[in-house]
Amino acid sequence: MKVEVAYAKPDVQVILTVNVPENATAETAIAASGILDRFPEIDLTKDKIGIFSKVCSIDQPIKPGDRVEIYRPLIADPKEARRARAAKK
Amino acid sequence: MLAVFVVCALFALLGLILGYSARRFKVEGDPLVDKIDAVLPQTQCGQCGFPGCRPYAEAIARGDADINQCPPGGEEGVIALADLLGVEPKPLSAEHGIEKPKSVAIIDESKCIGCTLCIQACPVDAILGAAKHMHTVIASECTGCELCVAPCPVDCIRMEPVKETLATWRWPEPKAVGQ
Repeated sequence: MKVEVAYAKPDVQVILTVNVPENATAETAIAASGILDRFPEIDLTKDKIGIFSKVCSIDQPIKPGDRVEIYRPLIADPKEARRARAAKK
Repeated sequence: MLAVFVVCALFALLGLILGYSARRFKVEGDPLVDKIDAVLPQTQCGQCGFPGCRPYAEAIARGDADINQCPPGGEEGVIALADLLGVEPKPLSAEHGIEKPKSVAIIDESKCIGCTLCIQACPVDAILGAAKHMHTVIASECTGCELCVAPCPVDCIRMEPVKETLATWRWPEPKAVGQ
């Protein structure tokens, strides 16, 4: 079955289509895509992954057409950002 | 007895012919809607008042919508639609918006709080991210529809015109006759 593996940074974004066996997990799709060689900064022990904007575990079974996404952490602290906005008002 | 066999054989034969022609001469949907949809820019921005390009194409085919309601398509889009449908071209309708250069959304990473509101607004899944994780616009998927700009609670999304590079350069569209 065909699935996509995606990773995005501000300057470069990739969506790779991979063919994986029926009982594949998110991890097999990521391994099959070779995206880890292209972006050595991805660390699957730390970086969260998900399918279509829903965080999932690395051994999540995947369905045809899924987009397995590798996320990056936030830079801003949402709570601090909220305090700063409240102070401005 | 023979008559029963003959009738059965005849019915089986006719059934086969019907089944074959149903497959051979199948009409896939409404071909006019497909042709109109192919002319539309597929930004899925909803400025025409319909929830996407295909619903707008269906409305034009039904006669419920005019051909000048698509600002991203611009004057050239209106002329292409007029050619296709054999009607007179008309200027873009101002109430649906004005024609702008093709843009993509850019997220200011130092402000993004990972709220997913822009992801929910994006009609083409062009934003990669999840709750409490960085959101990033996938430039090659972004249609420049601007639907993600308004929902952002920290105003960290801006639209930037697409720069002309080797990857994005296209042969200019021919100017329509009579312009």
